[in-house]
Amino acid sequence: MKKTPERIEILAAEYVLGTLHGGARRRFEQWMMESGRVRQEVWYWEQKLGGLAEPVPAEQPPARVWERIEGRLWPVANKPAGSRIMAWLWPGWSLAATAAAMVLAIMLVQQPATGPGLAGAVVQENVSDPLWLISETPSDRGLRLRPVAAISPEAGKDYELWVVPEDGQPLSLGVMKLGNVYRVTLDDAARDALSRSRTLAISLEPEGGSPTGVPTGPILHVTQLYEL
Amino acid sequence: MHDEAGQEELIRLLNAVAHQDREAFQALYAAVAGRLFGLCNRLAGQRELAEEALQEAFIRIWHHAGEYHSDRGSPMSWMMTIARYRTLDLMRARKVRQAEGEEVLADLADGRAGPMESSLAGAGNRALAGCIDELSADQRDCLLLSFYRGLTHEELSTTMSTPVGTIKSWVRRGLLALKRCLER
Repeated sequence: MKKTPERIEILAAEYVLGTLHGGARRRFEQWMMESGRVRQEVWYWEQKLGGLAEPVPAEQPPARVWERIEGRLWPVANKPAGSRIMAWLWPGWSLAATAAAMVLAIMLVQQPATGPGLAGAVVQENVSDPLWLISETPSDRGLRLRPVAAISPEAGKDYELWVVPEDGQPLSLGVMKLGNVYRVTLDDAARDALSRSRTLAISLEPEGGSPTGVPTGPILHVTQLYEL
Repeated sequence: MHDEAGQEELIRLLNAVAHQDREAFQALYAAVAGRLFGLCNRLAGQRELAEEALQEAFIRIWHHAGEYHSDRGSPMSWMMTIARYRTLDLMRARKVRQAEGEEVLADLADGRAGPMESSLAGAGNRALAGCIDELSADQRDCLLLSFYRGLTHEELSTTMSTPVGTIKSWVRRGLLALKRCLER
């Protein structure tokens, strides 16, 4: 079929609308590869008809979609707490166990793009994925905790994050809700304490966080961060 | 993310993604996945297929971020287009039938009666809303059912109880009239 301007015009429009399908769609894609004029016409319609998509309300996709994307693109990095790393790390570190959970810290495999900072992970024995991955973002004095295998606390309870200083009372970094990356900006005191002790703790508190300003519930996890 | 600053941020992220920056990719996902998923879901009418299409769309974005340029519209519109094509591909591959008779039409009529067009206008797309309004009712139904529901000519024919030949002509005339109107 000859690429007349009239055919290009209507086929591009139907391609973008989606009514061009099957073999005709594939043949038209061949035209797009061959001709800049055809591509321009397609881009025109993509922009014009694309306006129709604007009023469609956003919907949050479930977390598994992101996990599958990561799994497809980076199948190895998806399991940073693999047994190989654990075996390598284990002889070097022995941390105190608290309550029933045996907790240790491992180095974070992913490098933050913002430059060196502290990083680590909260892991639990018999759980192959880390519960949370932790990274510091020095550029905005922030700390990010990405829930991976962490499960929601029982109803009426919340997880609270703390900096454990070398001495003195823990400093609260707020209540972490699961589902999203938890980001917190460190004030001077917290930043100073963390840079020296490099230790974080997570406790189980009544909903909304500790009423007293110090941990009141069980300390579930203690984890040490490392300089990348 | 409709504002200029938002679009600039998306361009910055796409640029970083083109250089294999995984953190930027995650930030991009956080910024636009909701909009893309809303569109996939509306089009597919099935969450499972919409999730798969969204996944395919982001894999494509990761591999093709470097191909984005301003001739292709805003970064958001470019990504929405990718999401729409991936959804259509999956619908056609799985032979998802969109023609369910009156139900689809009634659904569309509800949307057209107000909310769709007022929100189009609200989204800074008065020209498009105005031109859609100038189409004949048949042309408009064909275009909107294809765009929002992915109906093919044959499915439109079933849904609107009209011969395929007539449908094809409504679609073509509708598209050409829309273009003439937008170019005025």
